[in-house]
Amino acid sequence: MNTDLLITALIVGIGTWLMRFLPTRIDTSAITPDGPVSRFLDATGPAAIAALCVASFLPMMEADWSALTMLAAGVAGTFLGFRLRRDISLACVCGAAAYGLAYWLV
Amino acid sequence: MPQSFPLDSFRSGMRSSLAVTLGYFPVGIAFGIAAARAGFSVFEAGFLSAIIYAGSSQFLVVALLGSGAPLVVTALSILATNLRHVLYAPAILEKARDRAATRYAWGWSGGLSDGVFGAAIVALNKSREHFSERFMFGLGLGPYLSWLFGTIAGALFSGAVSGYPVVDAALGFLMPALFLAMLLAMVSRRTLGVVAVTILAAIPLTLFVSTTVGIVGGMVAGALSGLVDWRRLGK
Repeated sequence: MNTDLLITALIVGIGTWLMRFLPTRIDTSAITPDGPVSRFLDATGPAAIAALCVASFLPMMEADWSALTMLAAGVAGTFLGFRLRRDISLACVCGAAAYGLAYWLV
Repeated sequence: MPQSFPLDSFRSGMRSSLAVTLGYFPVGIAFGIAAARAGFSVFEAGFLSAIIYAGSSQFLVVALLGSGAPLVVTALSILATNLRHVLYAPAILEKARDRAATRYAWGWSGGLSDGVFGAAIVALNKSREHFSERFMFGLGLGPYLSWLFGTIAGALFSGAVSGYPVVDAALGFLMPALFLAMLLAMVSRRTLGVVAVTILAAIPLTLFVSTTVGIVGGMVAGALSGLVDWRRLGK
C-alpha cells in the first residue's frame, strides 16, 4: 500500500474518531435542563439535519427543466412515502424510485 | 409498524438506522468507483472506508492525494471538514438525559456519521427510552457495513454501474431523500424556528463560500437560534 495513503488515512481516521469520541467524556450532568447549553445541544440535531439537507439539495438545483422535474418528482416521492407510514426507509425508497422514474421519462 | 423487541435493544438500533444503511450503500459504491478511477486498489479503497468512515472526507483524500498536496495539509484540511462531528455525541447524550451512558462510547461513538447521528436524534425525539449503548451499537453497525461493502463493490465493479443510468440516477437520490425524510420526521412547531434559521444561513454560505462552511455555519446558526424563546417572541 502507498505510504502517503496509509499515513493520511490513519491521521484522518484517528482524528475523526477522536472528534466523535472525546466529547462523550464531557460531564453533561452539570448541564441544567432548559439552560442555554441544553437548548443549544437540543437544537443541534434539527439544525444538523437541515444543514445536511441544504448541502445535498443545492447542487441538484440547475436552471434546466429536466433536472428540476426529476428533483420535484424525487421530493414529491419522498413526501408521499413519508406520509404513507411516517417511515424514513420507505420515504427514501419512494423518493429514489420517483427520481429514477422521472429520469427515465424525461 | 409494531415492534416486538425493546426500544433500547441492539435490534431496535438496527431498525432505526435501516434507511441510513440503505442510503449508504450506493454512496459507498460511488466512493469505490471514484477511488478505483483515481488508481486506488480495491484493498486501498476498502481500507479508507474502514478506517475513516466519513464520506466527504474520503472523497477529499482521493482528490488531494492525487493532486500532490503536502501530506499534513491534506490531513488537516480533511479533518477541518469533520469538525461538526464534535457536537454529535453531546447532542445525543443531552437528548438521552438520565439514560445517557458512555462506558462503551469509545466503540459506538466511532460510528456517529451524519446519517447515524440523524437517525439517533429522530429515534430519541420519539422516545428517550431508545437510548442504551446496545441501541447505539445497533444503530451504527448497519450503516458502517453498508458503507464498507458498498465501497468494495464500487471498486470491484466500477465499470458496470455506469451501464444502468436509470438505476444510477435513482441510487444517487437516496442520500438527499434520506436527509429530507429525516427533516420531515424532525419538523414540529418546536423545531420550526431552528430549521428555518439553519436553512436561511446554510444556503448563502454554501453558494458563496463552500459546502463545508455552509453545513457548519448553518448548523451553528441553527443551534444558536435554539437559545431564542420563539414562543415569547411571537407574543
